[in-house]
Amino acid sequence: MTRRTMKVGMLARVEGEGGMHVEVRDGRVEQVRLNIFEPPRFFEALLRGRDHSEAPDITARICGICPVAYQMSACLAMEDTFGIEVPEPIRLMRRLLYCGEWIESHALHVFFLHAPDFLGFDGGIEMAREHRGVVEAALRIKHAGNQLMSVVGGRSVHPVNVKVGGFHRMPTMVELTGIRPELVAARHDLLDLVPLLAGFDFPDLEQPHMYFSLGAEHGYPLESGSLVTSAGLHAPVSSFGEHVVEEHVEHSNALHARFDGANYVVGPLARYSLHSGSLSSLAAEVARAAGLGPTCRNPFRSILVRTVELVYALDEAVRIIDEWDGGPASVPVDVRAGVGHGATEAPRGLLYHRYRIDDDGSILDAWIVPPTSQNQPSVEEDLRLFVQDRLDLPQEELTLQCETAIRNYDPCISCATHFLDLTVHHR
Amino acid sequence: MTALVVGLGTPDRGDDGVGPVVAAEVGRCDLPGLHVVRLTAPAELLHLVDGYDSVVVVDALRSGGVPGRVRVLNARVPGNRAAGTHDLGLAEVVALARELGRLPPRFTIVAIEGECFDTGTALSPRVERAVPVAVDAVMTALE
Repeated sequence: MTRRTMKVGMLARVEGEGGMHVEVRDGRVEQVRLNIFEPPRFFEALLRGRDHSEAPDITARICGICPVAYQMSACLAMEDTFGIEVPEPIRLMRRLLYCGEWIESHALHVFFLHAPDFLGFDGGIEMAREHRGVVEAALRIKHAGNQLMSVVGGRSVHPVNVKVGGFHRMPTMVELTGIRPELVAARHDLLDLVPLLAGFDFPDLEQPHMYFSLGAEHGYPLESGSLVTSAGLHAPVSSFGEHVVEEHVEHSNALHARFDGANYVVGPLARYSLHSGSLSSLAAEVARAAGLGPTCRNPFRSILVRTVELVYALDEAVRIIDEWDGGPASVPVDVRAGVGHGATEAPRGLLYHRYRIDDDGSILDAWIVPPTSQNQPSVEEDLRLFVQDRLDLPQEELTLQCETAIRNYDPCISCATHFLDLTVHHR
Repeated sequence: MTALVVGLGTPDRGDDGVGPVVAAEVGRCDLPGLHVVRLTAPAELLHLVDGYDSVVVVDALRSGGVPGRVRVLNARVPGNRAAGTHDLGLAEVVALARELGRLPPRFTIVAIEGECFDTGTALSPRVERAVPVAVDAVMTALE
């Protein structure tokens, strides 16, 4: 009997703290575990008793990378509870703010966290030594996202301008047109980098999982929509709990989610495979130039899909600014008791919030399902499939490829703990 | 000569707020060619330092040393850096600026050892007393 164990104690270039453990016995992958030891966060419990109006800013603190996602899902859930549908200008301004978050988050992951894997560097700083132009351009792209967040959200991290019912203040036309040139320049920078990314050597892996995202009511899914799966389901956001069940597993402080009992995937691959037809013409052209078809099931190519989404976010931001015609910053909020659901597309995938509100507007209970806990079982399954076919690889190379396979998901452990360190055991 | 003083830190997070307090004091001196800014995230530094002859970053430090102790570091000398996740720390930003050839000709870090970093607290007395010492250190670095 031969046993092989691979182990990485602390996974780098992911957000938060976790590891991985893979055990192989007699040529068969026996166990794959993402060990998430970052402590639980208890956000859902601390929301109880707080006013509904506090939920967007409290939940934004779950993540420094995707605070807008938390704010948007919280606002939609509260507005659903109170029977409010915000006017079109507010929805558009939310979409613009969300574009800023996608630009910040995707630029960071594509160029600083994921590209070093394909170019053979330990990290973005080492990569800068040989690819100075790439890193300079990536910094400019990320900066454009920061500026957009600052103009619409009040600051580049944890925006302060969002509230249930809309915004505290709408940005002025002068502020919006002021950031347009930087967005256009960032789009130009990004287009120049596409051939480099498209030329990466992508390992073969076809994932079998179901894809789950919001349905696009207004173009590619972002700030609103209903539930859509690759299995053909179209359902309202309120039915989320009828399909998704979270369970605790021993090796993880993040809950594992299953959709009707099966593994599934949220995020760029799901959004792209379900909605590539809704991309802007430039983003669609970049997808073709990068060698992507109408769907993409190879998680290693997620870096290309994120790049396409980055083009889309820059395009969409410019479009919204060009068509902006003003509007009220917010609508009045009349509280009432009830249950509300909200879901938006965080950079890493669908983020669902559900609240039960008392008649004084206070929160009775909260349920928050972040993208990384939804993807966890599929990450483990990808690793199982991936390692099984590559057992002849040297230990160091296989371990590195496993880490890359995890970073395919841009996992946000801090969000999911309610998550990573890589241990691959060959026994 | 053009110079930039950056107060790095978050006010109302105890001694983490000392950077902006020291930078504000330096700003009151109204030196010609001197710009003073306040930052909460070091990553933005990369976009700010271009074109300055001298940059001084004032930041709180947590090294287990004596609270209030002021240290002056030459950021042009390569040092150690911690492993990063989704956010760039000051050491990583300096390392990245070095790789990109964007280190200003003079780049100094004035670090003040902090004691308490709790949310909702002001500067601790020993760090408060170190503010004039840190201001002098910034002025010396700018000479």
